[in-house]
Amino acid sequence: MTILDTRTVPDKTTTRAAIKDRLRSAHRAKTRRTALTVTTLAAVLVGLLVASVLLGGVGRVDPSDVLPAAFGLRTGLADYMIFQIRVPRALAALLSGALFGLSGAIYQRLIRNPLATPDIIGISAGAGAGATTVFLFAPALAFGAPVAAILGSFVLLAIIHALSLRRGGVDTYRLVLIGIGMSAICIAYTNYLLTVADKHSLAVAMRWLIGSVSAADWDGVTVLAVGTVACGICAVLLNRSLGSMSLGDELATGLGTSVPRTRLAALLLGAAAAALATSIVGPIGFVSLISGPIAVRLVGADRAVGLSALIGAAIVLGADVLAQNAPLISPVPTGALTALLGAPYFVWLILRRRPEATL
Amino acid sequence: MTDTSPLATSPPPPARTKSSRGTTVAVLSLITLVAVLIGSIGLGARSIAPAEVISILLDPDGTGFNSHVLWTERIPRSFLGLAVGAALGGSGLIMQALTMNPLSDPGILGIEQGAAMFVVLGIVLFGLSGVTAYFWLALIGAGFTAALVYLIGIRTNAGSSTVGLVLAGVAVAAVMSSLITLLVARDEAVYAHLRFWSVGQLTGRGSIMGEIAPFAIVGLLLALPLGRTLNILSLGDETARGLGIRVERSRLAAAAIAVLLCATATAAVGPVAFVGLVAAHCARMLVGADHRWSLPVSMALGAILLTAADTAGRLVLDNGEVQVAVMTAAVGTPFFVWLARRGDLVRM
Repeated sequence: MTILDTRTVPDKTTTRAAIKDRLRSAHRAKTRRTALTVTTLAAVLVGLLVASVLLGGVGRVDPSDVLPAAFGLRTGLADYMIFQIRVPRALAALLSGALFGLSGAIYQRLIRNPLATPDIIGISAGAGAGATTVFLFAPALAFGAPVAAILGSFVLLAIIHALSLRRGGVDTYRLVLIGIGMSAICIAYTNYLLTVADKHSLAVAMRWLIGSVSAADWDGVTVLAVGTVACGICAVLLNRSLGSMSLGDELATGLGTSVPRTRLAALLLGAAAAALATSIVGPIGFVSLISGPIAVRLVGADRAVGLSALIGAAIVLGADVLAQNAPLISPVPTGALTALLGAPYFVWLILRRRPEATL
Repeated sequence: MTDTSPLATSPPPPARTKSSRGTTVAVLSLITLVAVLIGSIGLGARSIAPAEVISILLDPDGTGFNSHVLWTERIPRSFLGLAVGAALGGSGLIMQALTMNPLSDPGILGIEQGAAMFVVLGIVLFGLSGVTAYFWLALIGAGFTAALVYLIGIRTNAGSSTVGLVLAGVAVAAVMSSLITLLVARDEAVYAHLRFWSVGQLTGRGSIMGEIAPFAIVGLLLALPLGRTLNILSLGDETARGLGIRVERSRLAAAAIAVLLCATATAAVGPVAFVGLVAAHCARMLVGADHRWSLPVSMALGAILLTAADTAGRLVLDNGEVQVAVMTAAVGTPFFVWLARRGDLVRM
């Protein structure tokens, strides 16, 4: 530019004030937007919860009995259906969805690739292998399956991470490829276990493996609730460091973040969240993949992790309501519906110009 | 691994395999094939003494339980294993040559899942049954899925086309298997049957050898003369055109034969991954990039791998057996991971 248009260059003080003003209003707008999104999602979740409890799936309860039963005024079958079957099922869907969404967003933010979610890179398959082992060989072990799932996912994470290291760095696509390979062997192992299982444990394991919340009971909900709270707190603590890591390793170190420690913590947290959810409701596919990018689009990357949990909860709960009540197809396992929804999205992600640029 | 050069994006002309080397490898793989076949017939959950095996083989009309086991179960099963393995080995090599992708394998790219989905569709909607009906359904499904995966795979921006094709395969396989679940979830009988079939295995499949054999033989015979075409195609489209080849037509023909082989295998035993991948790579390591040699060697190695894996699966447990798909995954996964780790594969 050769001629400086003086009219557009105001003096120093007004510029600073203007910038401050603009920043503040942008921040306010963002906060408003976040508040609006969270409120809407919360309303959607409450609506879905009500729908799930009222509509149910198997086992018809007269709608006029539902409300009295919900307030403890009616006992018997309606009470049993509501409190032993529908409410735990709805809560399990909600909480597991939140965990899947959380784990996906953490991985996507850390690895900076929307494809790198725990279910795509095989960590859920490792959790599945661990949980199936316990289901079949030690079914009486209290909380054995969640613990085994977490162990299995950590072992698989260590293997995948070690195998994809190359000259000091982790190559995202190699990580995804190796994860796909490792999940093949975990699935083969799980399949093998199923063929040697006795009839009873087979039924339990099979129902679980398709990814369905139908088997959830209050024990499972307790595990999920404790897991969601713990993982949520860890995610809040980690979010700042993850944010500075998104600026690049050097800048993050300069800002006082311990890069290796943050990376390890995020990897373990994401794996643990996915494994906990998987151990209770089975591998409900593609939820962690979809939730993160939607959250980023709605509120931006720095607030995406928390919102992704809400979106994951809405997706699994919505898919479960649909799976129980949709005409023609119901009842079907929840996992089949989320995969049908998520896989085309996955295709869209790999077809887009620069999939790594979104997070 | 430097002799797998046709996989690079700008391949040098495939080196001709010296016929002495090719013959040596071919003879050695034939000997191994026979040894594996003998092992597969002679070994199993029920131990039958070698002398008795020979006497039973010499006397096809003999009676007795061992004779029954051998003639109705082990022998058909062994030959089925050979046919399916050869089909997968051939299919894997042709797919790798056509896509120039070292990770191509009918199982990994989801083509077997697609074939399975169409088989289930036929069972649920039209009540079809029998291996011949399954075969045609599997063929349609495999062709459809192959086209779909290929179309998605070549348009991806996932770092390299190699990775893109695998990711497309994963996505399509996920859609196909969730469609299968939707179709069978309410029908427990179909589900129980499918659960058994969806883990690829040879157990109890001996009786379908007669039905599947024509398809397998036709497919393998069609595939054998493809070596020269694949050699020319691997030079790149323009060179191939200059040499007087109709590129599109021959590529389509080769792909159709690969799909035919893969559909045959899937209709016979269900999805078995990694056999084509491992066989094709080992074949190229042994005889180099010349497809006239590597294609038949890959078929032989596929047959050896599948039959050996099946025999080993019968022996590893005292009680019961491990399905062949599980055994091949145990062999194939380390191989796949090793390939994925190689430096020249993943380009960002």
